[in-house]
Amino acid sequence: MKSGQAEIMETSKGIQKSGLMSRRIAILEFILRIVAFFNTIGSAILMGTTHETLPFFTQFIRFQAEYNDLPALSFFVVANAVVSGYLILSLTLAFVHIVKSKTQSTRVLLIVLDVVMLGLLTAGASSAAAIVYLAHNGNNKTNWFAICQQFNSFCERISGSLIGSFIAVVLLILLILLSAIALSRRH
Amino acid sequence: MKNESATIDVPAESSSAMKGKAPLIGLARDHATTGSGGYKRGLSIFDFLLRLAAIVAALAAAATMGTSDETLPFFTQFLQFEASYDDLPTFQFFVIAMAIVAGYLVLSLPFSVITIVRPLATAPRLLLLVLDTAALALNTAAASSAAAISYLAHNGNQNTNWLSICQQFGDFCQKSSGAVVSAFVSVVFFTILIVLSGVALKRP
Repeated sequence: MKSGQAEIMETSKGIQKSGLMSRRIAILEFILRIVAFFNTIGSAILMGTTHETLPFFTQFIRFQAEYNDLPALSFFVVANAVVSGYLILSLTLAFVHIVKSKTQSTRVLLIVLDVVMLGLLTAGASSAAAIVYLAHNGNNKTNWFAICQQFNSFCERISGSLIGSFIAVVLLILLILLSAIALSRRH
Repeated sequence: MKNESATIDVPAESSSAMKGKAPLIGLARDHATTGSGGYKRGLSIFDFLLRLAAIVAALAAAATMGTSDETLPFFTQFLQFEASYDDLPTFQFFVIAMAIVAGYLVLSLPFSVITIVRPLATAPRLLLLVLDTAALALNTAAASSAAAISYLAHNGNQNTNWLSICQQFGDFCQKSSGAVVSAFVSVVFFTILIVLSGVALKRP
């Protein structure tokens, strides 16, 4: 009977320790969500406020560049805005995970939503990356001209806003990993 | 007299009953674990079948894009009359990425079998979930960048003076668009696989 009591004491200490580990994982998730939110909202704003007008004009070629002109870039802005909105709303759920101890079904819900948002964000970021690559280099075979040679600051802005979005993609993958680890632990 | 001997026997029975309780509790625990192992095994089998389907989708995407060469039967001095996936670096990235994803799926089949055989082990499932997430990101990146270029090839862009090449190369455009669709089907399969792994990781 005494050995049984000692085992109960040891397992309760083990529960306390792993409860602390779960809490640390939940706090780390909360912080990563905030960082990813800032990245996505920054990318969306940086891409959304691109507007460059060259100071000369001819009869044939257009000399204004906006993100609206390329549908892939407007999809990028929309995707980043949606994901940043989701990240803000999921902060409440992440906060609940820090405070509460039995969080299994809400963690599964969070993993599902995170995976969907990861897909959306990666789609937006990589389609914009394809178009930005084309804008930088053009394509000889299809006679697509590299517009970056004319619109320097527009090109710089759209290239820079991709970086924040890709960082947020990596952070979302880390968030999914952390949620899965927390889900598979004993407590 | 016989009643007194029966009352003397009672404590001995109770102690043996107490000793006997421990294996009963152990049996009850085994019952609970095999119960949850049943539905997790079902999830693992579904996971394995989905992986096979995703292999087909990813290989179909890579193969269709890789064999999308088209040569038009006439020529002039100025325009190009051959089109292949080589001409666009995004499509090259698409073929390579889909091949990598298909290779990863084939290599992950043994881990899926392990989760069928041992439905209660969490380490293989966790590993599969992490690697599936990375593969999902790669797959989505390849599929959506190729989709952006396909959209441009179909519609062109007036603001940047980019002409739509699909009006000349109809076959090439059709094949590349079909490959992109197949890649997005593979993305859907990956999403379901990750959700399955997440649900199966839950400890009841």
